[in-house]
Amino acid sequence: MNKFKSMVSILWMLSRPTPGSKAVVALPVVAFALVTALSLIVLAGAMSFFTTPVIDANPDLAGTYQMLAGVALALMVLPLLTLGGSAARLSARRRDERLSTLRLLGGTPALVGAMTVVESTAVAAVGICAGVVLYAAALPAVALISFQGKALGLAALWLNPLLVLATAAALMILAAISATIGLRQVVLSPLGVRTRAKAPTVHWVRFALGAGAAVVLYVLMANLTASGSLAVMIIILCGSFAGGMALLNLVGPFVLKWLAGRGLRKAQTPARLLAARTILESPKAAWRQVSSLSMTSFIAVIAGTGLALLNATAPEGGNAADINLATDMRTGVLITVVASFLLVASSAGVNQAAAILDRSGLYVSLDRLGMPRSVMEAARRRAVMSPVRIVTIGSAAVAAILLFPLTGAAMIFAPLSLVVIACVLASGIALVWLGLAASKPVLGSVLAR
Amino acid sequence: MPETTADGHSGGMTSTILSARSLSKRYGASIALNNVDVDIAAGESVAIMGSSGSGKTTLLHTLAGITAPDAGTVHYAGTEVTALNETQRSKLRREAFGFVFQSGLLIPELTAIENVALALMLNGVPRREAEPQAAGWLSHLGLAGMEDRRIGELSGGQAQRVAIARAQVTGAGIVFADEPTGALDSHTSAEVMGALLGATAGRGRTLVLVTHDPTVAALCSRTLYMHDGVLSLSPSAPPAPTQLIPGASGQHAVPSPGMAAHPSAGQFAAGQFTSGQPISGQNWAEQP
Repeated sequence: MNKFKSMVSILWMLSRPTPGSKAVVALPVVAFALVTALSLIVLAGAMSFFTTPVIDANPDLAGTYQMLAGVALALMVLPLLTLGGSAARLSARRRDERLSTLRLLGGTPALVGAMTVVESTAVAAVGICAGVVLYAAALPAVALISFQGKALGLAALWLNPLLVLATAAALMILAAISATIGLRQVVLSPLGVRTRAKAPTVHWVRFALGAGAAVVLYVLMANLTASGSLAVMIIILCGSFAGGMALLNLVGPFVLKWLAGRGLRKAQTPARLLAARTILESPKAAWRQVSSLSMTSFIAVIAGTGLALLNATAPEGGNAADINLATDMRTGVLITVVASFLLVASSAGVNQAAAILDRSGLYVSLDRLGMPRSVMEAARRRAVMSPVRIVTIGSAAVAAILLFPLTGAAMIFAPLSLVVIACVLASGIALVWLGLAASKPVLGSVLAR
Repeated sequence: MPETTADGHSGGMTSTILSARSLSKRYGASIALNNVDVDIAAGESVAIMGSSGSGKTTLLHTLAGITAPDAGTVHYAGTEVTALNETQRSKLRREAFGFVFQSGLLIPELTAIENVALALMLNGVPRREAEPQAAGWLSHLGLAGMEDRRIGELSGGQAQRVAIARAQVTGAGIVFADEPTGALDSHTSAEVMGALLGATAGRGRTLVLVTHDPTVAALCSRTLYMHDGVLSLSPSAPPAPTQLIPGASGQHAVPSPGMAAHPSAGQFAAGQFTSGQPISGQNWAEQP
């Protein structure tokens, strides 16, 4: 017990911020604030469809709205988990040097690991509190979004305080779990903490399985209308969506590895060489960073195509509620896609900050050797943006192929809507680029040490 | 007899390639460099020894343009290094200097050949031209067949030889080495020093090396000592006068008796490296 007490006091001493560490502390806090605020806003938006006058006025559509709200909520889970995980890992990693000091002083790996998890969770807690404030501050703007022709209104968006607490608690647990996972990736020894050298390999079997699944999905989608039953069609659609996502996750790392391998063989400049090697070092990690983007892109194409066709084929003078439903679905898809892109952009920034800190010694050495900072930046940018482009365009293409008869029809009946989808995806890529740019000062502070 | 400077450099016999005057550097209250003067001739190998915190690494970093001094000047081959901005110093380090550090220098994701070729690629050489030159240097340093191994798959000594290849592949006229054998056992340390001296002084290039190890220092043609930021010729005597002006009376660092047991840079060159021709700084494109 005494030993534990002394460890806690040592941890407290080591918690003091060091010069240049501000960005490193601030990033996880900001990321968790964003995760919390977006989680609460999305939750509030979804819950509003169970309580608002919008639903009271259109009881027939209540089920549809609630189902769509549930789907939007479910879609946000993956990007939220990705960002939460990145933030917690960054928070854990920044303590690397101090952890080895604790090991030297006699702390067991379990004790030191537990302390790190506690500390990371505490950092997350600060961000979560800030996120709750941010949620409250953003509500007046969110309340202006209209569904069924009426603004949502503040009253519908205030969550029950217990629900806010439950969300905060869930995010704290997520932070603790992610920090534990993050720690598993480093070796804690008294002489230093180092990142494990070998990343797991990606097997071609993934690709074979993925290709098989793609054929099955395509056959299912091509025969979507054969059953004639709406219920069967919905089941096939949902199954295809889930299957499509699983397919992307199965094939994604393999595709990234294959493309990076090609890039490596062609690379003639230092930035291209370094970027290709960074992706090849761990295609799974490169995929994890952008996997939620694949989902967003996939949804944007499927939902965008569906809505475009709905609009194009809607009979003239349909009832107001149905027209509003189509508009609302468009709003919903847009909000989901934008929020998802925001989360991925934040993940990219936070992950990059963690990656720079992990390799700070190497960056300092490269700087001493005379490697221009612009080359380091270009390599980092390429290592993130190249998977982002591949994933966004690849997932959109997979969705377009799976829905081919429908995308073909949309091209003919509503070409403008496809342009809108393309613009949204391009804006998403630009947002990720901005997230990446936000981690630039971390490299500056590492090189200035 | 040619005139000698107080840091042991004999002026007139060989041309000075690196020269520092009145270098001073403080970190907070501690003085890392206290009015240091030093001249280093082309083709010599100079070891800088001293206890921890004596300022030897700061001196190496200042001479190499990594750290800017608070006062004083550094000239390299007619260029005033201390007058250059950060970007210009970075370019100078990339094009004219080679570096071998104790660790953390090589990029773990890259293979041995890619690590070496990177130095050329940073200077604008396409990879298809850089890799054959890198392979030539790796082969010269006894690493033939290991080109495609990642750094984690090499021993400490092999990794240091990759670093030496990287420091030399660009044809750098001067190599700065900071504890290059610090993490190695004595046998591997001797091998690495042999490779380093053979690739530098053995080919008419200059080596400036920081070390704790007297055995390593004894392999160099001259040894200087740092005591609390002051450069001296003696390992134990009180610090020499702070004004080490060229032309003032001084002495050469006399090799210790034990040093005779160690091969000289010339011997290394005559043994392992006789096949290679001395390479001028500008002709690196013709490397093996």
